[in-house]
Amino acid sequence: MISQVVVLSLRGDTIISRNYRDDVPKNTAETFFRKVRFWGAETEGRSGESAPPVFNSDGVNYYHIKTAGLFFVAMAKTNAPPSLILELIQRVAAVIKDYCGTLSEDVIRKNFILVYELLDELIDFGYGQNTSTEYLKSYIFNEPLTVTTVAAPGKSASIFAPNTRSAAAATSKSVVEKPKKGVTRDEIFVDIVEKVSVTFNASGYLLTSAIDGSIKMKSYLSGNPDIRVALNEDLAVGSTENSPFAGDYGKGGGVSLLLDDCNFHSCARLKDFDADRTITLTPPDGEFVLMNYRTTHEFKPPFKIYTAVEEVAPYVAELVIKVRAEFPASKNGSNVVLKMPLPKATTRASCHIGPGQTGQTTEWKESTKEIQWSFKKISGGSDHALRVKLTLSEERVPNIKREMGPVSLSFTIAMYNVSRLVVRYLQILNKEKGYNPYRWVRYVTQSSSYISRI
Amino acid sequence: MGDKKGNELGDLKTQLRNLAGSQLKENTQAKRDLFKKIISYMTISIDVAPLFSEMIMATTTTDIATKKMLYHYITHHANSNPELALLCINTLQKDCCDVDPTIRGLALRSLSSLRVSNLLEYVTEPIQRGLQDKHPYVRRTAVLGLAKLNAMNPEMVSDLDIMGSVRAMVLNDPDAQVSANALTVLTEVEGYEALAVESFVTPILKRLKSYNEWSLALVLEVLARYKVTKSSEIYDIMQNLEDRLQHANSAVVLATVRVFLLLTLPLPEVHQQVYERIKAPLLTLISSAINEIAYPVVAHLHLLVLRAPILFATDFKYFYCKYNDPSYIKKLKLEMLTAVADSNNMYDIVTELSEYVADVDVPIARSSVHAVGQIALEAPDSDNIVERLLLFLELGQEHITAETLIMMKDLLRKCPQHKPAITQALSFVNHSVVQEPAAKAAMVWLIGELSTEDPYVLEDLIETFADEESPDVRLELLTACVKHFFLRPPETQKLLGAALAAGCRDSHVAVHDRAIMYYRLLKHDVRKAQLIICPETVSVSTFTETHSSDEIEQLFQQFNSLSVLYRHPGFAFASPEASPVTVAGPAEDRTPAPAAVQEAPAQPPVQPAMEADLLGDLLRNDPPADTDASGRVQRAPVRLESPSKGRICATCALAAVAHPHLLPHDSRMTIHHELPGGVFLAYSRPAAAVPHASDCQHRCFRWPDAV
Repeated sequence: MISQVVVLSLRGDTIISRNYRDDVPKNTAETFFRKVRFWGAETEGRSGESAPPVFNSDGVNYYHIKTAGLFFVAMAKTNAPPSLILELIQRVAAVIKDYCGTLSEDVIRKNFILVYELLDELIDFGYGQNTSTEYLKSYIFNEPLTVTTVAAPGKSASIFAPNTRSAAAATSKSVVEKPKKGVTRDEIFVDIVEKVSVTFNASGYLLTSAIDGSIKMKSYLSGNPDIRVALNEDLAVGSTENSPFAGDYGKGGGVSLLLDDCNFHSCARLKDFDADRTITLTPPDGEFVLMNYRTTHEFKPPFKIYTAVEEVAPYVAELVIKVRAEFPASKNGSNVVLKMPLPKATTRASCHIGPGQTGQTTEWKESTKEIQWSFKKISGGSDHALRVKLTLSEERVPNIKREMGPVSLSFTIAMYNVSRLVVRYLQILNKEKGYNPYRWVRYVTQSSSYISRI
Repeated sequence: MGDKKGNELGDLKTQLRNLAGSQLKENTQAKRDLFKKIISYMTISIDVAPLFSEMIMATTTTDIATKKMLYHYITHHANSNPELALLCINTLQKDCCDVDPTIRGLALRSLSSLRVSNLLEYVTEPIQRGLQDKHPYVRRTAVLGLAKLNAMNPEMVSDLDIMGSVRAMVLNDPDAQVSANALTVLTEVEGYEALAVESFVTPILKRLKSYNEWSLALVLEVLARYKVTKSSEIYDIMQNLEDRLQHANSAVVLATVRVFLLLTLPLPEVHQQVYERIKAPLLTLISSAINEIAYPVVAHLHLLVLRAPILFATDFKYFYCKYNDPSYIKKLKLEMLTAVADSNNMYDIVTELSEYVADVDVPIARSSVHAVGQIALEAPDSDNIVERLLLFLELGQEHITAETLIMMKDLLRKCPQHKPAITQALSFVNHSVVQEPAAKAAMVWLIGELSTEDPYVLEDLIETFADEESPDVRLELLTACVKHFFLRPPETQKLLGAALAAGCRDSHVAVHDRAIMYYRLLKHDVRKAQLIICPETVSVSTFTETHSSDEIEQLFQQFNSLSVLYRHPGFAFASPEASPVTVAGPAEDRTPAPAAVQEAPAQPPVQPAMEADLLGDLLRNDPPADTDASGRVQRAPVRLESPSKGRICATCALAAVAHPHLLPHDSRMTIHHELPGGVFLAYSRPAAAVPHASDCQHRCFRWPDAV
């Protein structure tokens, strides 16, 4: 079981170090950092590879997750289940975040006593104890010092940046925060986050597509009342082969929302889920994922990408990239960045944005032979084009297409979800009269691996 | 600097003394701040141990936050100050009887974490009292205290004769965490096996729902060891656990999957259904979790895929790499794609893999080439795939060309029918581009093997023979020259002469020895030399590098452990056996250990009468010392062995008995015999002379083809 838990900064400074079993050497933190920093450098040609989350060095097993600019590391001597230990340190990080509101190096440094206190309650002799945030409340005595972060413009910590800033600020408050001026604000946040993976082949045909979604909740409801969350009534779960709904498109009842599979947080009570697609739960304090789901069924990719390459003259090639936003005009894509590697022989690439297109920047990175095309905002339904002139060091590049691409696109679309999964309602059960907390339901679609091949 | 630190410690001491006796309210905050400072020093490894006695003087505090910091300090420093630690026992014992359960629990936790062996006598009594406490917080701490005691002094725990009541706590304590901690103690003291009995498992199953996810993982581990007596029980347990597969916590899901898989081993049909049932939950975990959490799940899926690739053949698209997958996940996915490739999905998979070859991440690009080659090797009718593989050479990128050459070599060894295609492709390779030793060695071997290849390319390479850094390449060059000599003696005689001369001058033992051996073989009888060096080639049926089913089965037994990630059985790296074997992690190549184990039976100690005679002859005929100018006289006795299935053929015996001095120094000669394929000579250097076991094995396997 866990012998030691250490929190390190990305520069390798030990911020927190808690020893539970006293059976690992004193220098484990340094050993860990050296290993991770120089991973792959020992074996030829493998430098730059990232260290796996679990490795062994001199008889000590190191497990780590990297989050919020920090390494959360556990060391163990036994052959304990890796998932158990990784999940546990992830939970440690989550509890710290619940308590402090946000997670960063600064936050941990300012609250290190609180963090030690939490670590003592969360883990005893290397074994995970009761880790629920509301249970811990009665055993934790240090109060969190909140760190006010000045969000850099355009690099907001929240994915819901533009139109829900106030809500985003609210979600970064501590679970134990004392009410200001005696006003308690009961509220609950439900975020439906969908990550889209799409691969188009060279002719724009959809090779693979998948949505990985999750329903995240963050509850600040006093007294932890039961709630009921209702999803689409036409939701069907099961893979294509087994699903009775397979091939059901176009039948009278309309199109069902098909999920390949889903899983739930342990607080979810699924008695009625099969009958009416509702989930009853007692929301624990703090942030948690109520449900993860995944679907590979057909959906409309939010962006289409077209490319064309032509060798126009010796030493010169021309590349045209078009991006089309295929979502409703009322929605906007933000943080949209398109990247594309160019042939090794490229010495220069000059980019020309189409006429009348504003709020866009392009960059040619010579060291990595890559162009980058960034948009502040893309409105639904709009078309954009970029013309790139490549200067090549060779007269002809025989396999110019093989050496280019793939085009990768990253984006965030707020208040839009591709799968059509919705929270129909969120009901507070057995509530007292007049109790009507704020309920925020937000949707967002993000790119995961959004690729178009050349 | 030292002075400054000294002063600072002095300051802290004074401040501690000033605050020590004070019970004033306004001093609480000052105390908290002071303690905070000391603990922050502790974290950055500044030695604050000298403050121990002052800290203990400050124990009389009622503020819990301060108390916690103090106890944190004490548990951290007690075992380096055993005498002084005695001073805090009194306070801790008193706190163990406090009215506030939080303080009782806290004091008990600290007391049992002191890790000072001569203070243990003070610990047992409060623990025993804590086990009877009204409050679950104290009981759960007390029971874990037993595990801590056991780690320090197991006899003390057995003297307490308390495991019976701990068992009762597991089953009867109303608090689930107390029950789980009691179970933890039992697993540490008695081991999992002792708990996996019906009288224990059945009642635990009844309260399964009350455990939190961490405790559940522990309980499931016990269940996984349970041997069911009747098959109805299997279904009962599975029914009981089925909803755990929908859990968002990967630790719970993997532990449940382990139970399902091990339970159903005696029922092959159900076992296969379990495979179908667990696919979706595992894939959901992989796609929803952060990369670090997904990694062990992918590694376990990888094991299942290798164990039963057919069951995953239609799921191949799930193993496609995402653009943003980290390399440790991509690598596993590539291997899964290779494993599930069959005649139906092969072309789709190879098309996808061909895209990854352009990956900017060099190891991934190489692994993708490797995967395509691997699929070509396994596919019976792989013309199209070989074509795809050979096309990679046209990309003209060094690392891709290198990996492709290596795969071409394996391909030719196993599937000689691709000789024309490989010959043609090789002629397009710009030989000067290939620099990497393994790839260059493969290329030279190919040149030697493909008779149509122009021997003059070898001339350039022989010219730089002495500058060639890798002995592997030099070895291959020697062999390639000899092979070409047999084909066109007049044209290549000069070349061969130059090669052998350079080889004999070589400072590397193996290269030097091979050159001498060729020289003498040729001098003795060119025709017989050809028989030995260029026998009729027999294609390799399987490569031992691929995972053996025994190895996979062994790892499968350790499902849901590090073994699966490291691809090593647990005893190789983890305590309690605590063998400090270094395992560099999963990024390392194929495990040498299991491969070596497989290698062993290939050389059985069977020594029929005739061979015994040969052996005697050999030992008497010690090789002459004439070649040994450099003073390398230490020679291991040469052993001659034959595999059990055959008798040594005439040529072989002739070569070995008549000319024992042909055998390389310091080496063991093994004669593998396969009729009618020809004679196989393999020699390997004794393990002590080779830094890595894999090196030794490698040579064994390469030789049958090279000679």
